[in-house]
This record gives sequence, C-alpha cells and structure tokens, in this order.
Amino acid sequence: MSPLLEVIAAAAAVAGLLAVGALALAIGDGVAGAVVAGRPIRVLPLLTAPVARAMLAARTGSTTTERPDGAGRAVAPALLAGLAALAMVLLPLGPGVALADPDTGFVVYSAAVAFVMIAVFLHGWSPNSTLPLHGAYRFGAVALSFQIPFLLAMLATALPAQSLSIVRIVEAQAGLWNVVREPLGLPIYLVVGLAVGFWGPLNLPDGDDLAGGTSAEDAGWARWLWQVARLSMLVAVAALGAAAFLGGYFGPILPGPLWVALKTGLLLAVMAGAQHLLARVRIERFVGVAWVLLVPLALLNVFVSGAFLL
Amino acid sequence: MTSVFHRMAAAADAPVFALAGAGMRWAVQDLLLADGITLVDSPRAASILLVAGELGPRLGEAAARVHDALPHPRATVLWASAPDGLAGAGAERIGPDADPVAATRAVFRDLVLGGRPSEPALLPDVDPATWRGVGPYGQGGSGMTGGTPYGRPMAELGPDRDGLRLDVLPTRLGPFFAPLPAGLELDLRVSGDVVVEARVTGSEVGTSEAAGGSAFVRALTQPQSIADLEMARARAHLRWAAEALRLQGLRAISLRALELARTIAPGDSAAVGRFATAVQRTGVYRWSLPNVDDRRRSLLADARLGPVSRACGGVDDERLADPAYIALGFAPITDVGDGVAAVWRARFGEASQSVDLASRAGSAVTTVTGTTESPRGRIALGDAPTARALEFVPALVEGLEWGDALATIAALDLDLDEMAALAGVTAA
Repeated sequence: MSPLLEVIAAAAAVAGLLAVGALALAIGDGVAGAVVAGRPIRVLPLLTAPVARAMLAARTGSTTTERPDGAGRAVAPALLAGLAALAMVLLPLGPGVALADPDTGFVVYSAAVAFVMIAVFLHGWSPNSTLPLHGAYRFGAVALSFQIPFLLAMLATALPAQSLSIVRIVEAQAGLWNVVREPLGLPIYLVVGLAVGFWGPLNLPDGDDLAGGTSAEDAGWARWLWQVARLSMLVAVAALGAAAFLGGYFGPILPGPLWVALKTGLLLAVMAGAQHLLARVRIERFVGVAWVLLVPLALLNVFVSGAFLL
Repeated sequence: MTSVFHRMAAAADAPVFALAGAGMRWAVQDLLLADGITLVDSPRAASILLVAGELGPRLGEAAARVHDALPHPRATVLWASAPDGLAGAGAERIGPDADPVAATRAVFRDLVLGGRPSEPALLPDVDPATWRGVGPYGQGGSGMTGGTPYGRPMAELGPDRDGLRLDVLPTRLGPFFAPLPAGLELDLRVSGDVVVEARVTGSEVGTSEAAGGSAFVRALTQPQSIADLEMARARAHLRWAAEALRLQGLRAISLRALELARTIAPGDSAAVGRFATAVQRTGVYRWSLPNVDDRRRSLLADARLGPVSRACGGVDDERLADPAYIALGFAPITDVGDGVAAVWRARFGEASQSVDLASRAGSAVTTVTGTTESPRGRIALGDAPTARALEFVPALVEGLEWGDALATIAALDLDLDEMAALAGVTAA
C-alpha cells in the first residue's frame, strides 16, 4: 500500500472509531439522563436523536458575532477533534497493533491533553463575547490543576512497563492489570478525564451558569462540531484509560479489539452516569482538591508503583 | 436527496429559546417535560423563539434582539403574547389555551422542510453607537483597554482581591439570560471569575394584571384554604428546586423535581424526602454551593425572606401569627446548617412539612389577612420579598466567583411575577 493510502486508511479508521464512540456516548448519555429523571426510555428516539440533531445542524445557518476572530472560531473545534484523533492513533487494539507506536506515546498523549486548553481557550476567546470569554478564563484557571495529577497518574502506568510506549504499557499488564496494581490511578485518571472533556461535574467552561459558556455563541454546524469534538475527546480519554489501567485488549475468550471496546464502553458509561448524578463542582473547591488531594495521592501512586519494581 | 435529509432534521426535537412573560414562568418551565421540543439556554442554539405571555414595554426591544440572535431558519411562536418588538416578525400566534408543544412542532417542521420562510432580522445590523474610539482595535482608553468606543464600556484595569491590577470586564446580563428569571437585568463588573461590582438595572416582567395573583396574594385579602396554600408552597419549592438544580448542571434530577411538583399529593412527604435524598447524593451540598459569610447571614436573617432568612438564623414566619396554623402544631423549620446549602435544605424541609400540613389541615382556612408567608417570605400589600431581596443582591454577590454569585441569586427564588402582582394590589 502506498504511504498516501496508508495515511488515508489510518485517518478513516481513527475517524470511524471516534464517531462510533461519540455516538455511543451521546446515546448512553440520553439513556442515563432518562433513567435518572425517572422518564420512560424511548428506544427509537434515543437512537435516532443524534443523527437527527446532526441533520438539523447541517440545515441551520451559521451566525456571527461583533468583530469575532473568524480564524480562531473555525480552528477551535477542529483542534479539539484533532487532539482526540492524535490520542486515538496511539490506542493498541491487539498485541503490537496500533496505528502508531512511538516510543514516546505517553508524551504524545500528554501533549494532546495539555493542548485541550488551547482549543477551549480559543473557542471562548474568538467570538468576542463575554460569556464565552468567561468560560475560556475558567478553563485556563483549572487547567494546570488537572494536568499535573493526570501526568502523574499516567506516569505510574509507565513504570511497570519501563517504557513510555502505550503498546508496552498494555503489554506490561499481561499478568496483572494496572487497576489492581495501582488502585489509586484509575479514579484519579477518571476525575481528570472529566475535566479534560469538561463534562458533567467538571463542565466549568461550558457550564449552565454561563448559559453554555464557550459554546454560548455557537449556532448550527459550528455548535454541533464543538459538541462532537468534545465527545470525541472523552472517547479518546476513555479508550486510553482502558488501555493504561484496564489491561487494554487482554481478556478471556473474546477477541482483543472487542475487549478494548467493552472496557472503553465501561468507562464511557461511568462518564455518562457522572454527568447526571454528580453536581458541578465549584472551581475553588476543585482547584483545592486537585492540589491538596489529587497531586499527593498521584505521587503516592507513583512511589507505590516504583516500590513494586524494586 | 436533500428532502430526505430535511425530513430527518425535522424529526429532531425542536430547539426552543423561550421568553417567559408575565405570569407564564411556570407554564414555560413545564415545557421542559414535553416530548418533541428542547428548551435551550442560548438563542444561538434555537430554531424557534417562543414568547409566552405579555412582556413589559421595556422588554420588547430586548426580545427583538434575542430574535435576531437565532440562526436561520428561524420562526417565532407567540403564545398568548403580542409584544411590540416582535410585531413585524410574521410570527405564529396561538391563544392561551392552545397546546404550545403541538404548535411549536408544527412550525418547526414547516420551517425545516422549507414550507415556512425563515424570519428576517427585526433590527438593523449596525453598531449600537457611533464610533468614538481612538485605537485600531476598538479600544478607546489608554493603552489597549478602557474607554467606551461603541457606547459600551470596554474592559479596563482595576485592582483585584489579591492586590494585582487586572482586567475588569463590564458584563450585562438579562433581561433574557437563561439562569436568571426573565426580566431581571444585572450589570456586573467581573475581574477574572470574581464579581467585583453588581447592580440590578431592571426587574420588569409585565403588568400586575398579567402577572396574576397566586393563592398567597389572594390570602392577603380573604381567607384561603390552608391545605391549598400549603400544597402551593410545596409545589413552589419543588419548582424552585428544578431551576436551581439545572443551574448546577443536574438536568435529569431537575426533571424529577418538576414531575414531583406536578404529581405531589397531600400527605406524601415521603416522596419529597426521597427526592431530597437523591439531591443530597449528588454532592451538591458538599462541593457545589458556596458558603454565606457572617456579614451576609446577618443581612438576610431579619429580612423576612422565608426559608432564606430562616437558613441564616432568622426565626420569622408569618404563619406563627395565625391561630389556625398554631392549632395545626406548626413550627417553622430552622437550624438547617450553613451556607447556600442550608437554604436548599430549608426549602426541601418546608416542602415536606407543607405536604404534611396540607393533609392534616382539613377544611381549615387562614384567619389573618394583610400579611402572608409566601414561599419567598413575608408578603403584604405593596411589599414583596423579591423587591427586598433585590436590594440585597449587590451586597450578596460582590466578591463571589461567578458560579457562586449565580447560585446565591438562585437561592433567593426571585419571583418578578409576585412582585408585580403585589405592586398591583396596592394600586387597587
């Protein structure tokens, strides 16, 4: 296969995985919402709603604001979706099978997560409007607080593998999954994952108290793209979380890729539940907990993982 | 092919931005439970602008501005409403007894399938004021900040709470900002995420006739059934909870509150208790709601703002002056903890208590007129708790972070309808 075809095939594969995951999360979110609200679960509307919304978004025109940063508005959703794709490329689907397996996969993933702040800030800054700008500031205010526990939680998974390659990190879990070896890691990672996808209790930049925050000025296609990019980011976080902590493709009977899908789905279900069962956290409270609790716990997690190696 | 896509789009829930006019706040809130439409928080996310009830004269132009913020294709549904600002919109008009959901669905379907033209803008797309700035990027003051180049103040440097000099951003909220009651306008100056200055610049919703009178307002002039009053109180607290929960991102549980407000029956305090437990399990008391410091507590304790004052250490309750309530063994709920969470607990406690009182009240009626305890506190002719609470708003929110400020305002349960109705009682 020519290099160009390979790139196209890889891009299609990543887009497909993200699309399926995002659709699953959108549907799961609808189901979780109906269950928590005590409303009947109407299967067909729940399944078709995401498609209908996409069609309506395509039917709806775009709007502009006063003196926006047009390029920034266009780039922000693409950047967020691109970061999700960048993370997804690293996902191991079987022994040694990943679209890309750089020795520094962990660093690439961390960089993608760090750049989410750029995407969200750009998205809030570019409409030149107060509510989106507040959302952007907020994300800037909390970003460092979750990025450091995130790095530490992921770093602990690199220790048993003695490698920064995501493929090696999964291989090192052949005998024992990291969720057992380092039980603090997954909870910290999940908390941080909600912040990366600004979802549920950590939906600070796009919160209801800002009438949508960075998305408040988005209409039609642009609004839809941003929502899909955000869902994609959550899917990437869940998929790589399943790889780093839940043993990725390891599991009995079923083929490896199916295990990856099941474990990713499990983490997505947790996220969908968190959206409806947990209240939004105050910024001050979250920043405090992140520095006082999550960072020390994540450090402890690293030390314990290191002690296992001695 | 296009038509297939359009038909799929028409099958989506109709995204609706609703403007709740006088007396229609709860009717609009009920639409959250409707199938086939979705109430959205931003006009940019909507295809349909639903105007419910009369809007005050000052709100007409604001409604037109909201209208023009909707993306094409867009349409307006006027539900028992004829606001000045939207007269030229070519809107669908329906009467007060019509089904707003069916009408909205029909308009939405027509709109998406192309049978109904998208409405043109009502206001000219021009700068709100003539250019008076000096710099190339719109700044009018010194350096890159400050001034009022387009007749609106720009961000400028000011001291923040950490002793730094940072941008202070003037922010105007309302009159149709989703987290606040329709009609309420706030001018904030925000430094980062902290509100450094707040002013209430508008609180008009409509005329007192349109705002209508609740059972509590009627109780000012004639005896009312205690059972009816207490059920109305329980429902009001649950409807408040639906709004407050939505503000904290808990939309699904918010729908439970709304459903409960519609179905709750006298004596079913266990249902309220189960609901309050579900709310507590979301962690909202632990990590979502702000504290209320001593200065604010002392402001509110004696303000006769009902559950708000009682959560801040106050003991006043007009029902204590009514022998009919004393005969039922009524005692106000106090000592519910600290902070805004205490206001939440007080309201849930009262909702449960009211449901219980309603089942025991039989045919008892109120024996005191002139003043009444509404779900928001003491009301009297020309004296509304919302009017008193609005005076506290600047002192309550200055120095708080944005989310805390809005959670604090939400806890007050501002009801502009009740305020308008009571203003009308004086005039009569």
